[in-house]
This record gives sequence, structure tokens and C-alpha cells, in this order.
Amino acid sequence: MKLYDYILSPSCYKVRLMAALTGVKLDIRPVDFHPGAEHRGQELLALNPAGSIPILEDGDLILTESSAMLVYLAAKVAPSWLGSGGAEETARVQQWLSFSSRLTASLGGARLHEMLLRPGDFGALQSQGIASLRELEAGLVEQGLHGMGFLASDRPTVADIACFPYVVLAPDGGVSLDPYPAIRLWSRALRSLENFIEMPGIHRLHELKPEPHIEPGKV
Amino acid sequence: MPARIPAGSIALWRTQSGRVTASADRCPHRGMRLSHGFVRGEALSCIYHGWSYGQTGECLRIPAHPGLTPPETIRVAAHAVEEAWGVIWVAVGETTAEPPRFEGFVPLRSLTAHADLATLKAATGATAGTAGLDWPAPGAPEIRLLSVPQEGYETLIHVLVPGDSSPAQRIAASRAAETLRRTAEDIQAKGLAPWSTTR
Repeated sequence: MKLYDYILSPSCYKVRLMAALTGVKLDIRPVDFHPGAEHRGQELLALNPAGSIPILEDGDLILTESSAMLVYLAAKVAPSWLGSGGAEETARVQQWLSFSSRLTASLGGARLHEMLLRPGDFGALQSQGIASLRELEAGLVEQGLHGMGFLASDRPTVADIACFPYVVLAPDGGVSLDPYPAIRLWSRALRSLENFIEMPGIHRLHELKPEPHIEPGKV
Repeated sequence: MPARIPAGSIALWRTQSGRVTASADRCPHRGMRLSHGFVRGEALSCIYHGWSYGQTGECLRIPAHPGLTPPETIRVAAHAVEEAWGVIWVAVGETTAEPPRFEGFVPLRSLTAHADLATLKAATGATAGTAGLDWPAPGAPEIRLLSVPQEGYETLIHVLVPGDSSPAQRIAASRAAETLRRTAEDIQAKGLAPWSTTR
């Protein structure tokens, strides 16, 4: 399975994270997204005319939407990540998978504006990002009142992975995460998962590992 | 976690054994926010270079100098903290006063509104009780609101509900709080609304 990948892209990270959590080995093909704009070159446009990354290639199958890639990985090797199959839970998974594209547009747009000087109404992108974070926070509060710690279930699903990266990287776009205690707990729960991997800006929880000890003479 | 009190930003943290500390949100080493840090055992560590601090603010360890006992002059200011009825109170300066009690109420959630306290009161039509605002929310149980002014026109609202509320009543209270925030922000936006141009 070949992933056309860019290390700083939260959407690419979703797929790398999902693969790590489910134990799938990906063949990573790095794309020079910036400054080379390789995703707009002929080779990649032939795979994805929309000119976006990530792209996941598995035999004849070419996927260009990260949510579909998460579902593909889960269906293939770890179906429990799709939820239990009940009507309500299935709908919740779909609800948050669709919602994740609003995070990409708003928080992701603000982040691209700040990091790569992409044009756009920065204030509007931030306001839309804050509105999305409030919606996510309220959703997590209600899930918590039902005794469930994740967006669709009492265990993580593809919906959590689809929403997680752009939320955690919101400060890159000048949007603070300080006002969202439920999001903070949810983010900690995801970062505590076995086989969790990092990306620049999203670090693991250091407290989960014992304190490193260095002998004084070895520094 | 990060929190804001009238004296500025603080790092509010709980040790493994459950004790709560309110430290100044600034590592004396390089000025990094300590609320970005992590708690291991009974100490708070800075995310930047791992300097770790105890509950009274003393520096316990500097990882880059493993043989060194940190000098006593390296300290983080800490504020008095008291935890009562599910609410954490931080005192600015000396205090002898007991924190208010909210018998029968439990914390539900906390949310931030881009509206000041006066606007919030106008939006609820609430009466100021002995502690906080008692708000007869439509379609929800009696709700008590504790408000903490933040920077600019922002207000942090802690929502408390009666301890015997059912899960459905708690969800109704959470949704009522969202509606309250929208109403207050609408009023604020039609008035002065300097925040709408800055955020």
C-alpha cells in the first residue's frame, strides 16, 4: 500500500496514524508539497486530478480522500475502528467523518494562511474554526454524559482519527485550544493509545514513559 | 492545564497522588508556558528542556545537568489552592476566607463566551445568588453559573447542576448553556463587540 505523503500535512498524518494504530505497513512516497508543489505536477495529477494529497494506492484502487483511506484501512485489518455497527453509532461515525472536512477548511485554512501565506480571510477562517471546536467540545461533553470517551463510541473509531490532527494543530492557525477541557481530555486519550505516532506539532505524552536517567559523567 | 486568574495565566496541575497546584505559567529557565508541560509523579516538568518543579515551586531537577542539585533560587511562584465540592479555587495573594459551598450542586462543564459579565446577566435574566448566578433555564433543571472574567470581553462560565440530575437533564443543561452563550454573544456583538474584529 503506497501513500503519497507530506510530513507536515495533517491529512497525510491521519493515514500514517491509522496505519500505525492498526499495524499496517505503508510504503511511503514523500511528496515535495512545499516549495516544489509536486502535487500539482503531471505525475500526481494523473493519480489525483484534484491536485491534493494524501493519495493512497493499493493495486488498482486509488483513494484521494483521507476519510476514505481511514475507512479502507479499518475495513481491511481492524473493523472495530468502524464502530459496532448499530444504527446510531454508524451514523455518528459518518457525522464526524463529514464534519472533519469543516475542520480542514477552517482550522486547516487558517494554518496554511499562517504557515505558507495562503490567501484567504484569516479572521473568517478562525471564526469558523472556533465554531467547529465548540461543536466538537459540546459533542464530547454529551458523549461523556453517556459514559463514552470518544466521538462515536466508548472506544476510538475512524471518526476520532479524522478529527484529531486539525484540532490539535489549531494553534498553528492562531486558534487557542485553552477554552476546551473536553477536547483536551479526548486528545490525551488518543495520544495515550498503544502504537500512537507523532507528527511535527503533535507530540506523545512524555509522562507515559518513565523518567530518563542519565549518568552525570555522560552528558 | 492552562487557566487564567486576575493575576495572569497559571498552570493548574494535579499530582499523581491527587494534590492540586496552581503555578505561574512561565518556566524561569526560558519562559515557556508550564501549562504545555507534563506531570510525572509529584512534579510538573517543562515541555521545553524538562526542568521539573515541586508543589511549592522549587526546582527539583535539570535533566541537562544530572549531577546538579538545583539552587533554591530557581523557583516558580505558586498560588494558594483549595478544592471544594468539585470546584477548584485559586487565591490571589493571602486569603483566610473559606471558598463558597454549593451543596447539592455538581460541576457539569466549563465554556468560554465572547461576552462580558453584564451581558451574560442580561442574557440569562438570572438572579445573583449567594454565590454565582441562579438561572432558571428553559427546559433544563435549575442551573447555577459561576463566571470568571478573562482577557478582553471573554468570560469563562462554569455550569453547575443539581447532583440528582439525570443524564438527559444534564444534556439539556449543556445545550441550554450553548444557547445562553449564543444569546449573550449576539447581545455583545450588537453592542460594542471589539472582539469580533480581533478574533
